[in-house]
Amino acid sequence: MKRAFWTNLAHAFRRTALPLAAYYAVTLALPLANGAAASGAAFVRHALVVLAVPPILIVVACGLCAAANSGWSHIQRPPQQSSS
Amino acid sequence: MKTRLALVAIAILIAWGLKRHYADAQPDDLSWILGPTARLVSATTGEAFVMQPGEGYFSRERLFLIEKSCAGINFMIAAFAMLVFALFHRVESRVDAMRVLGASLLASYTAAVLVNTVRITVAMWLSAHPATLSSFSAADVHRIEGITVYFAGLVLLYELVQRLDLGTEARSAKVASGAGARSAQVRS
Repeated sequence: MKRAFWTNLAHAFRRTALPLAAYYAVTLALPLANGAAASGAAFVRHALVVLAVPPILIVVACGLCAAANSGWSHIQRPPQQSSS
Repeated sequence: MKTRLALVAIAILIAWGLKRHYADAQPDDLSWILGPTARLVSATTGEAFVMQPGEGYFSRERLFLIEKSCAGINFMIAAFAMLVFALFHRVESRVDAMRVLGASLLASYTAAVLVNTVRITVAMWLSAHPATLSSFSAADVHRIEGITVYFAGLVLLYELVQRLDLGTEARSAKVASGAGARSAQVRS
């Protein structure tokens, strides 16, 4: 179960690599290239939030998917009756 | 190879042009994207937004302004760059390059209007129902909501384009295999 979660998480990060790169490029790389770093702490705070939120969203989405799948498989698989 | 290099150069020029236009524009100059967004937000929330020259689209009832920074130009640039990159493998000729550029521009504009509508609608809802999370200010909540909606919008757009692209490839392969089978029948 845990291994499947980590495999799915790695797959999700690979799958969202391009949207993530495009998002970081526009929200972090372009402002940095335009000298936004000069604004100091305000930009650092903004950058930290921008850097952190998308990966957190991916992890949460994978967690929800894993929970939904395990719940669904639990419903689909009826409890085994003892043969005695 | 030359066509692909030209495509990259034109895509960078378009993205740069959009960014320059956004930097220099007044809210009135961005009515091509703020106008449809404000109309869609009006349709989803039922609030009337009126154009205020030099400011943007304003809802008097909710005291909510859709201003220049709400235009979603940065999202549009990110979506455009992402789509050009995602469809890059399709470019074999100049016509393909023009198609990829046109489709990416149109899709990124449409996505920017739609995703921005969702973002502003959620922002309006959040401002009407302020959460009592002590560690987050209203500005923090607004920022996190913006990042969430924009990033989710990019991922959804990418998934949609990947599915359409795979579907087109599968149809092309089917047509090619059908043509091959027909020509084999004719030869035999």
